[in-house]
Amino acid sequence: MKTPILARLVEIAGTMLAVSFIVYLVLEANSGDVAVKVLGPFSTEDQRALWMHQNGYDAPFLWRYLEWLARFAVGDWGMSTHYRVPVWQLLPERLGRTAMLAGATLVVMIPVSFSLGILAGMAKGSVADRIISFFCVATTSIPEFASSVFLAAIFVFWLGVLPGASSMTSGFAIRELVLPTLVLALYSAGYLARITRASMVEVMEAPYIRAAMMRGVPPARLVLGHALRNALVAPVTVIMLQIPWLLSGVIVVEVFFAYRGFGSLLYEAGLNSDIALIEACAMISVAVVLATQFLSDLIYAWLNPRLNRKTARADAAGIPSETPAAGAAP
Amino acid sequence: MRRRMLPRLPVLFGALIVLLWVLCAVLAPWLAPFDPLHSLQPLVPPLSDAGAGRMFWLGTDMLGRDILSRLIFGARAVIVWAGFATATAYVIGIAGGLVAGFYRGHADRLLSFLANVVLSFPVLVLYILIITKVGASGFNIVLAVTFASAPAIFRIVRALALDLRERDFVLAAISQGETPLRIMVLDMLPNAAGPLIVDACLRLGYTTITIGVLGFLGLGLPPPTPDWGGMVNEGRPLAFAFPHLILFPCIAISSLMLGLSLLADGLRDGEQRPLKSTGTNLP
Amino acid sequence: MTEPVLRIDGLTVGLPGGSDRALAVNDLSLEVFPGEILCIVGESGSGKSVLLSAIMRALPRGLGHLKGGITVDGVDLATLSERQLRRMRGNSMAMIFQEPMASLNPAIPVGRQIAEVMEIHAPTMPVAERRQRVIDLITDTNLPDPPAIARRFPHQLSGGQCQRIVIAMALAMNPKLLLADEPTTALDVTTQAQILKLVRRLCGIHGHGILFVTHDFGVVADIADRVAVMQEGRLVEIGPVDDILHRAIHPYTRRLVAAVPRFAAVARAPIDTAPSLRITGLSKFYGAVRALDGVTLEVAAGSTLAIVGESGSGKSTLAKAIIRLIEPSQGSITIGGHDFATITGSALARQRRLIQIVFQDPFGSLNPHRSVGALLVRAGVLGGLDHDAAVQQAHDLVARVGLKPEALARKPLAFSGGQRQRIGIARALAMRPSILIADESVSALDVSVQKQVLDLLAEIQRETRLTMLFITHDMRVAAQIADRILVMRRGRVVEYGVTLTVLARPSHPYTAELLAATPGQVWEQTRQPALEAGMLMGG
Repeated sequence: MKTPILARLVEIAGTMLAVSFIVYLVLEANSGDVAVKVLGPFSTEDQRALWMHQNGYDAPFLWRYLEWLARFAVGDWGMSTHYRVPVWQLLPERLGRTAMLAGATLVVMIPVSFSLGILAGMAKGSVADRIISFFCVATTSIPEFASSVFLAAIFVFWLGVLPGASSMTSGFAIRELVLPTLVLALYSAGYLARITRASMVEVMEAPYIRAAMMRGVPPARLVLGHALRNALVAPVTVIMLQIPWLLSGVIVVEVFFAYRGFGSLLYEAGLNSDIALIEACAMISVAVVLATQFLSDLIYAWLNPRLNRKTARADAAGIPSETPAAGAAP
Repeated sequence: MRRRMLPRLPVLFGALIVLLWVLCAVLAPWLAPFDPLHSLQPLVPPLSDAGAGRMFWLGTDMLGRDILSRLIFGARAVIVWAGFATATAYVIGIAGGLVAGFYRGHADRLLSFLANVVLSFPVLVLYILIITKVGASGFNIVLAVTFASAPAIFRIVRALALDLRERDFVLAAISQGETPLRIMVLDMLPNAAGPLIVDACLRLGYTTITIGVLGFLGLGLPPPTPDWGGMVNEGRPLAFAFPHLILFPCIAISSLMLGLSLLADGLRDGEQRPLKSTGTNLP
Repeated sequence: MTEPVLRIDGLTVGLPGGSDRALAVNDLSLEVFPGEILCIVGESGSGKSVLLSAIMRALPRGLGHLKGGITVDGVDLATLSERQLRRMRGNSMAMIFQEPMASLNPAIPVGRQIAEVMEIHAPTMPVAERRQRVIDLITDTNLPDPPAIARRFPHQLSGGQCQRIVIAMALAMNPKLLLADEPTTALDVTTQAQILKLVRRLCGIHGHGILFVTHDFGVVADIADRVAVMQEGRLVEIGPVDDILHRAIHPYTRRLVAAVPRFAAVARAPIDTAPSLRITGLSKFYGAVRALDGVTLEVAAGSTLAIVGESGSGKSTLAKAIIRLIEPSQGSITIGGHDFATITGSALARQRRLIQIVFQDPFGSLNPHRSVGALLVRAGVLGGLDHDAAVQQAHDLVARVGLKPEALARKPLAFSGGQRQRIGIARALAMRPSILIADESVSALDVSVQKQVLDLLAEIQRETRLTMLFITHDMRVAAQIADRILVMRRGRVVEYGVTLTVLARPSHPYTAELLAATPGQVWEQTRQPALEAGMLMGG
């Protein structure tokens, strides 16, 4: 169990390194561009040349990358050109808000999609299954910005019960968290429910379920005692892998509802060509993705009894040969 | 008979929606009542009389352009660019996946690592990164989508190819001394086609959504191209007073994606059994 | 006369529309008495598994119980509610399955799975007593250290051990009727012998009636009191085991019995040609696992070598290493005097023609998207013919393996398992090889089809002096077809010699064990007359 974990960590470190290279390559390969973005479009040729010289941008690309990497690794993430503060000062608050939004989404999404998926998968082809399956396809088909529009139209424009913006200017308000959470949960719940359903269907068709049925195990016990645990391995693993999706969705939802979190920070950084901030945000989001993948692997190994080998496969040769008992002859 | 028809109903519904939008895209100049770029009367509500016996069925936007015409021409933009982007992503993904699945070993490790690197970005972060660098245009969207989806397609093809590589008919071809290219193209690819077609259907939908989302974020097809996501973006400041500006493009993009998803679902059920990837190669 | 534990009266089960026949089970009647084992024999598609499902009242979707009554232990199943039926399942009738590992829940320790049966059917039993009974049941099935076994998960046990657990579970409530669906088919022959003994013994002690479904006449001969033969859903013959095996009345039964390979070596003229294939010290390591460990052998040109072993013995790894589908870690392979183990690239591609393989699974070995003609012509071209010659050869080969010329235009989906195996043989021959490897090529086939394919291979060898390597787990097949036998165990060769000698005087105890475990040996000694009769009828 130990060596695979170590190998996985090495792989993750390698991926992080490659990602940092791509990020740096995309954003800073052309040093002239960087100067324009930092100093603005109205700076003169001389100003840019001076800035490039002062900031070491006339060094070879690989050298610059290594220097940047070294600084980045020790926590010196540079200045945000748009906000005029060090990047690291901006992040904690924004990350915290987004974590809250993501947490709320998971709390809504997991119970809903598990119960829908189990309900549908228990009896494949039933009316409940068809309705739930259609609902799942429908919700995953509506992009977040469209469902934001639809939900806002209903709850803000028509019913007027919820605020249309979630900027939380006058402090934390749970009312403002409702719509963004709902949009994110709606989009992801359909997918998770489908995974749960597929997993449940597969388990319900497994030979051991049929065998249990042939032993007279009643339906409720069949689902709760035999099927559920095995059926939930896949969806629980998938929850973790949903987080990267959620991270993409967060950008749209935060922009739509003017929620001041990590997603809108990244978006603004992009709009304003705030290079240091984009770099930090991109690296953080990739780190989150890799961490969730790693966690998902661990959960899978922990949940799957077949991987969790405590004892080696018993040797068939260990069985003592049988002596025919009395009365065995035909 | 009724029992057989009933489950197929959603698929037919999906196919109908997709067909409708494809028709819109193909016949846009004949179907659209107005020129999508021409300013008429700004901010007219839906179902208004346009004079000369014509109607603004879905109203007009703040620049006075007919929204229905923009939606119809928008279908053309979105289907052309999404189709183009998906196709290029598939060519690269299939080539890489077949090579990794057939040769395994170092080729597989290298390609898989590259794919993992790209896939460890949340997609939208990657798009923002790329579009920030290269600017928003149709071809740059194709570039970004290809870059971001090819690794996902690669993974699917690779898993299918690794499984097929162990099938007896592929082993038989190898033991005959058949050339690797012919094995990949004649023996492996046709047997992976089923799941790939299902995935292509869905991925075309994802790309549609991507183009929509980029438009919504102001990173999509540059104006004045009629682009569904861009229309939502432009209409958003006035949405409270004129909801029709953003409601109809949202319905358009959601319905196209719904159609593609239902179609993919139906195709998947038609597939006999999804192929499973193999684990270790111990006997 | 005692009351039967199972009485089936005119059972008829319908297949869904569009199937190759209308009825899965057609007007079938039989009875099973306490303490007897009734074997149901039939080829694939004969309806024997459907019969078991019908008895458990658990027919797969689409199949309809049309008419006929089933009475278990005096209770007519048709009158029962779902709840009452559940009370009978696992209680008065229990089932043993073909895939023991798959029929156990992977996430629950096996002891708890056995205990569950009693929780459901005897909820008043005290916990301590239940726990003791689980241990007793496991002990009863001759598993070592029952308390430790009870705590294990299915994946921590071997296939044979899992099947013992499944049997223990079936016996938990001491049922009157036991239904066994090919319970030893997925097991190795030595494990099979132990399980058969166990079933026989437990039946003698507890006196339940057992309905035992199998396709293997060796197993029938060893375990049955009475035998029922099924063909396309009909019961064609039923009677005491001796009558069926020796004095069958129905021609189908006679044909089936005759098709079972004799378990005795055929006297063959010794072949002393130069070796066509020579292998020295061939090894394959996966980390610390030695899948192949120093295999050395020689096959004389035009002779047949059977490689026999149980699952995990390395026999299939050997086949794949010889044709370079797996790269050997060590050792040499020489074909017709030329090195084959170390050549690479185009040299390897050219030499591959000389050694061809026919695979086990007739449904996986042909690309479903290419026509038989395209397959054979391409093989001919790769074998060095020009296109026209390859087309001519494809026509000849299709005729040679007994298919019609129209077969060339069809895709593999249009053929049955036996026909596909013929196509596989034709494809191998199209390369004009000097050596043919048959890797369990007849194991997936029904016994009558198996015989036809074996006969075809023997004919081809007579005509072309082909050298053959026949990989099998079945001693009967090996005895029939091979000049020499090589026995493998855990990657090593444990026995290698002339077939007659190996069968009569095995030098290694494991070979002796394998031979002893081959089912149906008592029958074999008295078999001759039935075989002759069968030959006459079978034609």
